[in-house]
Amino acid sequence: MNTKLRATANNSPAGSPGAGRHVLIITEGTYPYATGGVSSWCDILLSGLPDIEWSVLPLIAGGRHVRPRMKLPPNATLLRPIELWSQERAPRGLSRSNADSGSLPTQLLRGLMPWQGDLNQLRLALVRCRLRPHSVRREFRAHESWTRFLAELAQLLTEGHSDSAPAPIYDAIEAARLYQSLYWVARTAAVPTPPCDLLHVTAAGWAAIPAIVHKAMHGTPILLSEHGVYVREAYLASISDTAGRPGHGATSPRLALGLTRAAYAAADMIAPVTEANGEWEMGLGVNPDKIRVIPNGIEPSLHVGPARGTKRVVAIGRVDPLKDVQTMMLVAQEVTRRMPEARFEYWGPVTSGQEQYGEACQRMHRQLGLGERFRFMGRTEDPHAVIRDADVVLMTSISEGMPMALLEAMAQARPVVATTVGGVPGVVKGCGLLAPPGDVHELASSVTTLLRNPSLARTLGQRGFERLHRRYTLSRCLGAYGTLIQEMTATGAPA
Amino acid sequence: MSGPNAGGPRTPRGEHPTRPAGRPRATKTGTSLRSAKPAAPVPPTAAIDRADRPAEDTDPYSEAVLEARLGRRARDVLEATVVLEAWTGRPARSAMNAARGLVSIDGPPLRALSSSDPFADSERSSVIAEGLTLVLLIISIAAWAAPIRTHLGPNVLSHAIRVALPLAIAFQWGLRSRYLGRPQGLACLARDGLWVWALLLLAVDAPLALIHGWGPVAAMMVPIFVGGTVLTRRGWGLIYAGVLVVGTLVMGLGASPDAVLAALTTITLAMCLLAVRSSKQTRTDERAGTVDRALTAALIGGAMGVLLVADPTVSLGVHGAYPAIALLPSVIGCYWGGYYLWNFFDAVPRGMRGVALDRAGRVALSDPAMSIFVGAIVRLIIAEAVLSALVIGLGQVFSGLLRGSDAITVFIAFGSIGTLSMLIGLLESFALQWAALLATLAALAVELVWPGIVPGGTPGLAMAAGASFGVLLTLPALVRRLAHSGGTLATTLWIQ
Repeated sequence: MNTKLRATANNSPAGSPGAGRHVLIITEGTYPYATGGVSSWCDILLSGLPDIEWSVLPLIAGGRHVRPRMKLPPNATLLRPIELWSQERAPRGLSRSNADSGSLPTQLLRGLMPWQGDLNQLRLALVRCRLRPHSVRREFRAHESWTRFLAELAQLLTEGHSDSAPAPIYDAIEAARLYQSLYWVARTAAVPTPPCDLLHVTAAGWAAIPAIVHKAMHGTPILLSEHGVYVREAYLASISDTAGRPGHGATSPRLALGLTRAAYAAADMIAPVTEANGEWEMGLGVNPDKIRVIPNGIEPSLHVGPARGTKRVVAIGRVDPLKDVQTMMLVAQEVTRRMPEARFEYWGPVTSGQEQYGEACQRMHRQLGLGERFRFMGRTEDPHAVIRDADVVLMTSISEGMPMALLEAMAQARPVVATTVGGVPGVVKGCGLLAPPGDVHELASSVTTLLRNPSLARTLGQRGFERLHRRYTLSRCLGAYGTLIQEMTATGAPA
Repeated sequence: MSGPNAGGPRTPRGEHPTRPAGRPRATKTGTSLRSAKPAAPVPPTAAIDRADRPAEDTDPYSEAVLEARLGRRARDVLEATVVLEAWTGRPARSAMNAARGLVSIDGPPLRALSSSDPFADSERSSVIAEGLTLVLLIISIAAWAAPIRTHLGPNVLSHAIRVALPLAIAFQWGLRSRYLGRPQGLACLARDGLWVWALLLLAVDAPLALIHGWGPVAAMMVPIFVGGTVLTRRGWGLIYAGVLVVGTLVMGLGASPDAVLAALTTITLAMCLLAVRSSKQTRTDERAGTVDRALTAALIGGAMGVLLVADPTVSLGVHGAYPAIALLPSVIGCYWGGYYLWNFFDAVPRGMRGVALDRAGRVALSDPAMSIFVGAIVRLIIAEAVLSALVIGLGQVFSGLLRGSDAITVFIAFGSIGTLSMLIGLLESFALQWAALLATLAALAVELVWPGIVPGGTPGLAMAAGASFGVLLTLPALVRRLAHSGGTLATTLWIQ
């Protein structure tokens, strides 16, 4: 473990730390409107720390008719979600002043879009949105604001930085898209937040906006949990989108960078799930003293059975470009060429919004003629049972934080073949085989090796099982969060 | 990568652009990444924010991966880092270090402009069917005048229309705002709104039906008119118009208007139910429009309806079919102009593509926003003028058939109403509902006080005065806004 990052070594039982505190947890597109991943983690956290009173403020995509998919525990209250990208107007305030200057869009632009934004100006602009919510829409709808924004954007694009190539040439459309995005930022900032002892932000992006404002107004400390690295995922998404809209590809990650920097600056503590995420955070200028790695945890099985030796390779995850399902199919093709009896199963739904990718995967599946050798199984309610039936658990992702599928494999003493991304190498230490992302040959060779050597597979699986019990238990994870919350609510930030 | 997640040119699957000595190999059993060229140690903090740190030597493999994945050079250190991390498996710190040597700060800027057109054309195939439906609807209703007068009395249709028209238009505007104006509007209505609207309709219709004389006729007209909007949205407009035509013919053959209207109401409501229920098969998570906006739209629609019937000198349907037929030019003109205005949400963004920032805030009458607006107004005026002349001409030729209030001022009045209706609709679609409502109410106020100010009773003059006042109120505001296409796009179309 990196000595610069403070690791948690707390093994205290869940529940007692932080008792009686009120924590506002802010989610983004996850809990309680989705299942798996961060949603499941939130559910475990809220249920696992029952003495804390939680309020859940979700940010969701607007314009969609959504219902919660997870039931909140009794100690949690669901607040009205903040809708991004919808027709809903910013909440109205009581004070009405005619002093709207038309400077709000330019202040947000200056705070968010340069390589190193003016975070102080950003904070003031966001607080202004909260104090005068009625003026947000009016200011953005004013022609004067638009012309000032254009002038400021033109100026900003001439400013260089040694870590960035010259800014792209914007046209009116991309400028208008950016203007609209800033409006959504302002609208998000305008939504009131309830009094609380701690603000717990679950992603360093849009979800941080209400917390930044709340802290600026009330001094409440902010705890930021990072499962993935928000800005890294934004860049990956923009790279995927580049073929369609290069302009958007330039705007979206830069906005994510601005939001991430603001979130990092405002957070009193940052709790990444892996050291690899911590490296990113430090790379973006976060003081290592603010970083405390809290790995995800899972309830370990006490007894596990041996693999059935059916040559079954299982993957669990969403059908998403980040999971690089297409590489997995190529791996399956290569493995089954060598071992025709091998069978691959991909468990998980297509990510909402990635239906086109899902269809491309199905097309590729047909083109490769994989048939029954590789099957898309859809969502599973019992990942443990799926993994129990597997001989090898495969993961070909190009980006990961700390995937739960790895922990589930370790919990069932199944060996893992995975890519060397994010926190994966840190978790799969001695209990699986690793290969670079996209390296079909190496991944296929690793899978074949384990299928042909059950004793090696068993040894690696057993090592994983033991490692999980040592480092990645649920009680350890909950205890670490409980302690951190207690420290932060007692003093504002841990010593 | 060959899927839609690919960004730019890619290498074929399983092959790497180059594999120089520094290429990291697979690691076994989780041991640390082996590399022929390990990352130089760097300070742990601010690895990418310090301009003075040493960059790694340029790595040809990394360069090749970047080129293969992006199809261009990296925009910044983070983009290069992400590519190296995701597609070569380098740890973050090493990737950040290597990335710094791969970003050129001296090259020409990239264009933030898509080469493909991201804006899909609107659905337009139903425009002729919808227009035809509208014409058949008006002619049919015009033809009800004589039988209703004969069977039910001279003032029944007049009173019924004066009440039914504002109510129906209010329902239409409200429905359109909340549901029908959306891509999956009918499916949304099927999912969460049908019973609400059915109850609302019942709440309005039940008291109407109890009014002696004209009440039942008005109560039946409201669902017939409102249902037409739903059925047209479903694409069943011609079937609906066909049903109306058959009903009108039956009425003309001597059948009781009450019975025919009751049958038409039943058929229309049944068709609506079928249309909405069948849309339920389309699963949608699209959100309906907001309630407050739909209510405001309904108020605006209602006020427009009152504007249409509040002038006592225009006696709709009382003196024969002519006044109702006189609506035809204005309705068709308004429909044609409004249809052209649909281009707004596609054409304005398309017209602004590639426009440099220094021109994005300028005033230009030739830019798409203003040119579409002017085009819509021209179409409206041409349609109203030509069709009015045609109807007047036909009225002269078939004077026995098309008798009634044939004063030219009635046509001017309806033309003004059509123009105001289009402008108010535009304001409403720009989320300027309160401005639209105030302008409509102001127009109505002028219409109502006009007879007191200008006595004489010229047919339609009060209506024309009110509508023209409304046009004068709305036109400058719209022109001022639309003169800036870039501003219209950013501040009006995309921020509602």
